[in-house]
Amino acid sequence: MIRLSNLSKSFGEMHAVRSLDLDIEAGQFFSLLGPSGCGKTTTLRMIGGFEKPSAGVILLGGKDVTYEPPNKRDVNTVFQSYALFDHLSVWDNVAFGLRRKGVAKAEITQRVGATLEMVQLGELGTRKPRTLSGGQRQRVALARALVNRPRVLLLDEPLAALDLKLRRQMQIELKQIQREVGITFIFVTHDQDEALTMSDRVAVMNNGVVEQCGTPEDVYERPATRFVASFMGTSNLMPGVYADGAVTLDGGLTVNVGQRSFADGTAVSLSVRPEKIWLSDFEDGMTRVRGTVRETVYSGPTTTYLIDLVPGVRVAVLEQNTARSRNEDRWAGGETVDLGWRTADCLVLS
Amino acid sequence: MRKPRTAFAFTVLFFVLLYLPVAVVVLFSFNSQKSLTVYEGFSLRWYEAFFADEALIESLGMSLRVSLVAMVGSLVLGVALALGLVRARGKLGLYAGFIMLVPLITPEIVTGVASLLLFKGLGIPLSTMTVMIAEITFSISYVTVILRSRVAALNREVEEAAIDLGATRWQALLLVTLPALLPSILASGVLIFALVFDDFVLAFFTTGVTPQPLSVRIYSAIRFGIQPTINAVGTLMLLGSIALIGLALLIPRFFGRRGGLSILSGE
Amino acid sequence: MRKRVSLWSWLLLPGTVWMSIFFITSLLLVTALSFGTTDDLGTPHFGNSLSNWAEVFAPVYRTVILRSLGYAFITAVLCLLIAYPVAYAIARHGGRWKNALIAAIVVPFFANYLVRMYGWAVVLSDEGPLLGLARKLGAPDDWRILHTGFGVIAGLVYGFVVFMILPLYAAMERMDSAVIEAGRDLYGGPLRTFLFVTVPATRQGALAGLVLVFLPAMGDFVSAQFLGGPDQIMIGNLIQSKFFDGQNWPLGSALTMLLMIVLLIAMAGYLRRARKDEQEAWQ
Repeated sequence: MIRLSNLSKSFGEMHAVRSLDLDIEAGQFFSLLGPSGCGKTTTLRMIGGFEKPSAGVILLGGKDVTYEPPNKRDVNTVFQSYALFDHLSVWDNVAFGLRRKGVAKAEITQRVGATLEMVQLGELGTRKPRTLSGGQRQRVALARALVNRPRVLLLDEPLAALDLKLRRQMQIELKQIQREVGITFIFVTHDQDEALTMSDRVAVMNNGVVEQCGTPEDVYERPATRFVASFMGTSNLMPGVYADGAVTLDGGLTVNVGQRSFADGTAVSLSVRPEKIWLSDFEDGMTRVRGTVRETVYSGPTTTYLIDLVPGVRVAVLEQNTARSRNEDRWAGGETVDLGWRTADCLVLS
Repeated sequence: MRKPRTAFAFTVLFFVLLYLPVAVVVLFSFNSQKSLTVYEGFSLRWYEAFFADEALIESLGMSLRVSLVAMVGSLVLGVALALGLVRARGKLGLYAGFIMLVPLITPEIVTGVASLLLFKGLGIPLSTMTVMIAEITFSISYVTVILRSRVAALNREVEEAAIDLGATRWQALLLVTLPALLPSILASGVLIFALVFDDFVLAFFTTGVTPQPLSVRIYSAIRFGIQPTINAVGTLMLLGSIALIGLALLIPRFFGRRGGLSILSGE
Repeated sequence: MRKRVSLWSWLLLPGTVWMSIFFITSLLLVTALSFGTTDDLGTPHFGNSLSNWAEVFAPVYRTVILRSLGYAFITAVLCLLIAYPVAYAIARHGGRWKNALIAAIVVPFFANYLVRMYGWAVVLSDEGPLLGLARKLGAPDDWRILHTGFGVIAGLVYGFVVFMILPLYAAMERMDSAVIEAGRDLYGGPLRTFLFVTVPATRQGALAGLVLVFLPAMGDFVSAQFLGGPDQIMIGNLIQSKFFDGQNWPLGSALTMLLMIVLLIAMAGYLRRARKDEQEAWQ
């Protein structure tokens, strides 16, 4: 559907995007995830036609659109600032694109009405954007783009300006709308929770390159690089040396990880996600270590323990407050505790 | 904080002296006698005299026409310049930015002399049109300076959104960018109208013999001695100016934005 | 995006062409004619004579030019002295009347300049209210303001003081009131605080104001005409008379160019000063 091949963009000396290759299938909810300055917005702007690539090709449904202007592409954008037309009513904002394309009046009325209904703004057509709340303005921006039924909708951090609660609600709503209309969404965000919650596929970007592209489960459970592992939540990266199916951590502790494709003596990082570490009811065959609790952080449904395995090697452990539901059931700082994890949950990253 | 009394007293004195000349003009415009020092009773005779004077009315008409044309002309050229100066890259932009600033440091008398020489050199007879051309030239810089900062403050994404939705660049400019600038454009237009209507020096150098702009007529009248009719004209012009400034200050509010003095102080 | 660049450049074009023809070309014409001559009928011709420039520096004209410089300079300084307390009172103690007071200063400025000067002349005249009051307070009968240098300067100050107040007011508005409070602690009295804290902090505004007053004052001819006498004429009056009464356009052009050069030098001095201030502020 969309193919970016060897796409690059430089601003003077600054290389924003370097030889990017991506395939995005039709009807997907696709996220570009990364920290600010990683090139995700530049990539989006090149797909939208707002930046001309320094090199490479953009194919949209097999057609080369690399140098087509934005108004010649079957692509629409929801901007981070919403970029609403303040002098026009909500209705006229949404009708803007259809009017430019010379769609018949009756059809405009029908399509604008239906789209406003879909984003739950049916009553607000006559209002000016300035008089709306942040969430409502966001919906207008969405409706204004969707009403054109583009092949691809580009969304540039559209939820960044909303407060947390509204944001969660809009995440679900956006996903529902995407399923309903079946349009390919390319969604730029720096929030990994948002990307994991909403996407069919995620491309994690850093320094202008895609570090990993896959399903949310792929990038979270099987990060390909240290950067992906650390960007996707807490990952307990422990430096050490690999040899013969085990990693010897810097503190002297040796942990069995199973045979991996590293040469003996390779410097690696061992990673075990906090929720993959058990503190009781261990299974047979688990890697078992002892540690000292340094900190206990209670946060409602879960508790996070910071535990030193050996001096200098500290891991975070996340536990549901299900079995140990009272404060006195939980470990406190200074206490010794047993830890265990499945060998399969060990990530070894170069 | 303690109030600085000396500064307060001084400020009061300043305001008294600032308004005294204006008050004298307004007061004596209603004087029943010709004297400018003795007020002898209320009368509208100088206003009647003004409205009965066909030559003065013709001058008024000319001043209004000149102001209107200068306003429209300098807005068209100035808005385009402001947009170009903020957005365009390259040598033309640098040159345009430079020649925009020169008029601001040029005294009006120099602009007046230069315009006079140009019209004579080109063989254009001095007339209402030459005044209009000179006033447009004089006003473009003001419009550009005021609007340049407003253009720079615009959200570029709004224009991109219009293009994204299928507008051409010109359509985006006309349908989205200009409407966003409209309050500032109108406000600066009103200011230019007031400035041009009151302008004397440029008009003096570039006008033909008949008709002459109102301010040039006022100049001749004052030069040739006491003319109580001028008090009436001056009072009417003052009222007009106050109305225009008020309008310029209120325009942003019509569009639901904060009005402000920033336009007047040129910030 | 090559297309976009051309759109914006197209927008630049009409205004740039207009200003090039009607402003830059006309200034070049003045420069050219300043080297010209007049024939016996008074018709100007272009040429390459330096006689106008020699004449400009003859004693008669030199006196007028130096007088103009003096008047404009004194006017700028007087405006500064007047504007400081006024801007200070409004900015620091104006409260919610601030905007209204500033508007009240701007409004008369928008009244017709000639009418204002005319009203000012009436106020300052021998029979006017100001001298009347002075005589009642015991001033000698032969005190007069009109037709003196002081009258011309009074006119220039009245005409252009608003250009000093606005930048000063803006500079004071930007000042942090905590700085003033701190100055209070450091220096004690309000006058000392004003001199050692407010004045240095608003220097840039004052500098801008000096230029904004000096430029139009230097080129003015209305004030000298309405409020001065034959001994108070300024360079603007000379230029005006060369173009209208005397019909010596080449000489008038040379005077005009001289005025422009003086102002460009003043402007260059200001820009250097302002840049130096900026650099110091960075350090």
